[in-house]
Amino acid sequence: MGLSGIEIFKKLPKTNCGKCGVPTCLAFAMKLATGQAELDACPDISENVKEEIGLASAPPVRTVVIGIGERATKIGGETVLFRHEKRFENPPAFTLLLSDNMDDLEISSRLSGFNNAVYERVSVVMKPELVAIRGDSADPLRFNTLVEKICNETDAGLILMNEDVEALSQAVRKCSGRKPLIYAATMENYEILGSLALELSCPLAVKGDGLEELADVCDKLIGMGLKDLVLDSGARNALEDQIIIRRCALMKKTKAFGFPTIVFPCLMTGNLMKETIIACQMIAKYGGIIVLSEIEGYSIFPLLLARMNIFTDPQRPMTVEEKIYEIGAVNENSPVLITGNFSLTYFIVSGEVEASHVPAYLLIKDTEGLSVLTAWAAGKFGADTIALFVKKSGIEEKIKHRRLVIPGYLAAISGELEEELPDWEILIGPREASHLPAYLKQLSA
Amino acid sequence: MSKIICSAAIQGAHKIVSMAEVKCDEALEKWGPDQNIGFPNTTYYLPVIYAMLGTPVETLGNAREVLNKCKTLLPAIVKDESWLPSLDSALEAGMSTLFAEEILEAIKYLEKPDCYTKTEDPLIDNIWLGAADDVIMRKRGVEFVDGSAPGFAIILGAAPTTEIAVKIAIELQEKNLYVLMCADHDGKTMSEQLIEAGVQIGWSTRLVSFGQSYTAGVFAVGFAVRAAMSFGGIKPGDFDGNLLFCRGGIFAFIITLGAITEEWVANAAGAINWGVPIIADAPAPKLVVPEICDYELITGDISHDQIVQKAIDVRGLKIKISKIDIPMSYGPAFEGERIRKEDLYFECGGGKTLGVELTVSKDMSEVEDGKIEIIGPDIDEVKEGGSLPFGILIEVAGRQMQPDFEPILERQIHHLVNYIQGVMHIGQRSIMWLRIGKAAAEKGFLLKHLGKVIHAKYHQEFSNIVDKVQVTIYTKEKKVRELLESAKNVYVQRDKRVEGMVDETEETFYSCTLCQSFAPSHVCIITPERTGMCGAYNWLDCKASNEINPTGPNQPIAKGECFDTVKGQWKKINDFVSRASGRKVEKVNAYSLMEFPMTACGCFECVATILPMCNGVMVVNRDFMGMTPSGMKFTTLAGLAGGGNQTPGFLGISKHYICSRKFIKAEGGLKRVVWLPKMLKEEISGLIKPICEDIGIPDFLDMIADETVGFTEEEILPFLQEKGHPALAMGALI
Amino acid sequence: MRIDIPRVAYTGTIKEITLGRNKNKITIGGESCYPFHLFEGTMPNPPKIAMEVYDSAPEDWPDSAMEPFADVVDDPVAWARKCIDVYGAEMIALQMASTDPNGKNIPADKAAAIAKKVSDEIEVPLIIWGCENVDKDTEVLRSICEICEGRDLIIGPVVEGNYRAIGATAIAYNHTVIASTPIDINLAKQLNILLGNLNVPDDKIIIDPSIGPIGYGLEYTYSVMERIRVAALTQEDERLQYPIILNLAKEVWKIKEVNVSETEAPLYGHKKSRGVLFEALTAQCMLMAGANILIMRHPEAIGLVKESIKDLMNS
Repeated sequence: MGLSGIEIFKKLPKTNCGKCGVPTCLAFAMKLATGQAELDACPDISENVKEEIGLASAPPVRTVVIGIGERATKIGGETVLFRHEKRFENPPAFTLLLSDNMDDLEISSRLSGFNNAVYERVSVVMKPELVAIRGDSADPLRFNTLVEKICNETDAGLILMNEDVEALSQAVRKCSGRKPLIYAATMENYEILGSLALELSCPLAVKGDGLEELADVCDKLIGMGLKDLVLDSGARNALEDQIIIRRCALMKKTKAFGFPTIVFPCLMTGNLMKETIIACQMIAKYGGIIVLSEIEGYSIFPLLLARMNIFTDPQRPMTVEEKIYEIGAVNENSPVLITGNFSLTYFIVSGEVEASHVPAYLLIKDTEGLSVLTAWAAGKFGADTIALFVKKSGIEEKIKHRRLVIPGYLAAISGELEEELPDWEILIGPREASHLPAYLKQLSA
Repeated sequence: MSKIICSAAIQGAHKIVSMAEVKCDEALEKWGPDQNIGFPNTTYYLPVIYAMLGTPVETLGNAREVLNKCKTLLPAIVKDESWLPSLDSALEAGMSTLFAEEILEAIKYLEKPDCYTKTEDPLIDNIWLGAADDVIMRKRGVEFVDGSAPGFAIILGAAPTTEIAVKIAIELQEKNLYVLMCADHDGKTMSEQLIEAGVQIGWSTRLVSFGQSYTAGVFAVGFAVRAAMSFGGIKPGDFDGNLLFCRGGIFAFIITLGAITEEWVANAAGAINWGVPIIADAPAPKLVVPEICDYELITGDISHDQIVQKAIDVRGLKIKISKIDIPMSYGPAFEGERIRKEDLYFECGGGKTLGVELTVSKDMSEVEDGKIEIIGPDIDEVKEGGSLPFGILIEVAGRQMQPDFEPILERQIHHLVNYIQGVMHIGQRSIMWLRIGKAAAEKGFLLKHLGKVIHAKYHQEFSNIVDKVQVTIYTKEKKVRELLESAKNVYVQRDKRVEGMVDETEETFYSCTLCQSFAPSHVCIITPERTGMCGAYNWLDCKASNEINPTGPNQPIAKGECFDTVKGQWKKINDFVSRASGRKVEKVNAYSLMEFPMTACGCFECVATILPMCNGVMVVNRDFMGMTPSGMKFTTLAGLAGGGNQTPGFLGISKHYICSRKFIKAEGGLKRVVWLPKMLKEEISGLIKPICEDIGIPDFLDMIADETVGFTEEEILPFLQEKGHPALAMGALI
Repeated sequence: MRIDIPRVAYTGTIKEITLGRNKNKITIGGESCYPFHLFEGTMPNPPKIAMEVYDSAPEDWPDSAMEPFADVVDDPVAWARKCIDVYGAEMIALQMASTDPNGKNIPADKAAAIAKKVSDEIEVPLIIWGCENVDKDTEVLRSICEICEGRDLIIGPVVEGNYRAIGATAIAYNHTVIASTPIDINLAKQLNILLGNLNVPDDKIIIDPSIGPIGYGLEYTYSVMERIRVAALTQEDERLQYPIILNLAKEVWKIKEVNVSETEAPLYGHKKSRGVLFEALTAQCMLMAGANILIMRHPEAIGLVKESIKDLMNS
């Protein structure tokens, strides 16, 4: 990483004009330093300074965008080897591979698998991002027709793959407005495809036979002025190449490797289960685009979850919405429990309540993603704030009783809470979620 | 070592070795050198010989060789009046004694295979259990290693009466100690005395009748050396390793009852090698050998009602209390209970009556562990709704106890007492407030139970620093007032100690890595003048925490060479931070905001940052929700300061640190501060006064802007100019 | 262009630990590089999978997990034999779930008898996993250590609250301990130090960093493991240079998304394959972070992961 926030600040106009949307230049500088703002937001900055800051603060792996509008997918932008060092920035794009050798039925069935695979979890929508269309038929028309069809049937980002440069160029020109990824420039064709990508400002995949050739082609393309590249080392057991590419970019600042990668689990095995396992390796170790043969619920759902886990910001806990969660067939006599909105807390507690088979109301209070004890220590889960939340949550209309189970670790506030909620009886739950089933069974017995 | 003891030990050793030689030669005559000998069911041969020499004694021939070696080890008998035998010679004499005794006992097994029962408990016709086999050693040895048995007592001889024998045995038993008995005094043994009194003996009651002769004492040593080999990974023949392991890990002592014979002394000299002290009821010269251990190895003339406590004190045994004997439930779930007026039975302190709490450290000899005394009426003498003056004095003693830990232990009273069902505790020191509910009173809860709780919990939670706890509760006005007066003195002294500590004079700082679970590269450095940013840990807390939990998150760091006194940078601190941060942070300035600032986790009380236009610094606390002149709210600032990264210009700090003379010293200290939230100003106004006076601006707080002046730099700058704020004239901050 | 591979300067090695006895010994650990970074170091012993067996028939398993074992779930010995004979298990993990005081609460001697029987009837290394109740585990695991003397078991979880009692017993009877801490590198290190102070030998300690399955906190376990390996291999942190074990199957198969039927949630897809992949992907992530032993359940998931290990070792 380049400049510290303070160093960036020194180069800003120091007018606190607020035109960038942030009240002070210092705050803006810090946003730039943490990659949360774009330099262009400041109207008063000179081009020179812009370049100076931009270069210095650019991540060692370039952020490449494929697709447009809501379906624009960012990949790359990575700055670390291990997620605990800071965070992984942009999750690898899961991609469905379609071939112009497939018949219409197969195409539409696979595409509907892709389009259906949309899941919501902790208010985050998870889905596969891209569709790759590969020309295998040696029939440029067939390829172009398929591209056209897919363009009409999905607004997902696209990867256009064809060894026939002519056919590929034709297809790219047709849908260049969608900013597809062009696959792929090689030692043989890089001049044509490089110029095409430059002309249409589309991202370009680069394929080499091994890392050395890959680097050579990249250098040539960089020389031609291309900025948005995606790397394919050609290897079909990719772990080692992935590690080397990422290390070169981060540790040696190798320009040729300062781009996200594309990997093809779908070409490494003919078995979807096994393919899913390989895709999972590539989530952990540095895949930028992961191309899959099929999108089945049972395979893509766990993959999406694994990806979400690995790409969670370790310093910013995931949260769930503050509200009443009903678990099981609740009624007006069901017990009421409360805990914080750290997503892991929510998942574990709700899982245990579910396992108890005792229907219950789970009140989730906004604790800014802090766990119970930390939230309490930080004043976000004290008796006063809990009482306020319980009152406004609307739980009192849903139940006849007035008993609230608080986490065992919060025993210290029970008295205070009883004073804040005079109609309520405060019960001390267990300290560990795993003891909830036993506790709830006893409570409801 | 006293000459008398040395000569006696050597004399006794000669007798025993000669006896073994005679016995061994007789046996050789009868069975020949290839005859197998050994103790039952053990893979350690004759364990003391095996452990010390690495020699497996399997036959009479092997035994004879060991005895030959004993002869060379044995120092000459002291005849010459002027010759002073060395300590080493006595210890060697003791060692030969034990080797010889093992051989004697092994021959006994050979001659009379059923001389010992080879069982865990005595039989009707034979009460002597003999050597513990490996099964017993493993099963019981685990208890020594895991702490469920704090140690063992080896008893030689017999008590003057059966009653005394029983009393001593029960006292030891109550402390969960194993009692290993051997040797007679005037033809009587303690084992027989216990049986006579109807006490059940055997391994199952921890009262072990090894044998009638003093030579059976070697079974106790044999037990310890095997434990060292089995649990300590000590190799056979690792002489020093075995001795050191037992000295540090196996808490054993010898109690002698009756006149001390030369043979006993020889045995004792053997045991002393393992750091086993001797406590005698008969007169004996005191012995201290710093090379072996820091406690007295021989203490004589101890009365029978003192002898167990004395032994425990000397050997420094940690007492385990597993159950707290009070009529109410106890646990964290009761911590937050309120006792409301209508449920109230009894209260003290809280402005209603005098109330005071004090924990002090004392010398080991001044504290009687477990003593709980109530001076004045208890709850059962008070009517419902009544109250009493209340003073609680907790006296603790311990080898590792330091006066600096007193306030930390005292602060525990609050949660320890609150854990009792039906009891509410608020405050501390002389503002404490205690309420006891009707339900508790009905169940027979008394003030003495408070003492029991504190005694038990101090032992349980602070066993590393506390060996003895004694509690006195006063409920008479006059006595409470006296305690209050002396407590006030103590409080003043303590506060002075904390205030008086400066970073320059302390060589050791502490780390805190408690928060690395979410900020992996963050390392907090806590110095006397820079408390932990969470506000929960000051330097003394860390010191105590390290003493209580030596492998825990607070580690001492010798600060080493000072690179920069103004910025606060030391060599060893850098080294530690570099390692503990996984090489992410190589340098730290403890007193700087702008250059290599200390990293932060996320749980700091405040964030300090720069206000460039004002050439100053602002601090905002977590509770202040509004916008600040930096253009960022607390949460945004917290995101920048936290996460374990060094972000120049952003610092996570405690409120206390603002009032330190080392507060951002590198940037000019307190004089740099141009903006604080009003509530923070008020909160620190007391503590910060002396600093304001230090910088020569007693009303400096009034020069600092707050949210009533403005939320932006533009708004507060005119205010600062008008007040003539010193920061405006200081060197440029950036 | 010649690629100059930036290599990591490793300074440490994970300790090699040999488990079990006689001809069925298994060695784990010994790696001198990050997981499967074989271009710059070695992994002499590929990660191993232990198949789990329960001390009594489980009640809350989905059919898909139950199906392969339906004929043996009532008999831990038969179950273990089936894992070995039919599914080729290299290790067995006996889960002492019915000792849980909040559940069946079977007494320690009864539990020990079950463990003894299983240990008598199988040859491969045997892991004994308690019910994760500090006090009950102390009692149960100690009894098992005693009664299974000479079997060189792997016992756990040993936690801060019972490490002395279980650790001491393990030393006495020569078993290996699983040092278990709640997803925190410093606590893991501290427990290892404490076990070392207790004289548990270095080749008798395995780290359990605690597992969160995918969707349920996997990232925490993942990063703690990566940090443990970074510290162990590049920062001379000796007290972290131990192999890592994860008891993952029981956490995976209880999560909601695995148990819900395809009719209830059509988008989640085929129930059995989904369960298998939840387990296999959790295992795969753990392998990428440095796992040495994975305790797993479903034969198909195990098959997938075994194949993946083989591929990664040969790449």
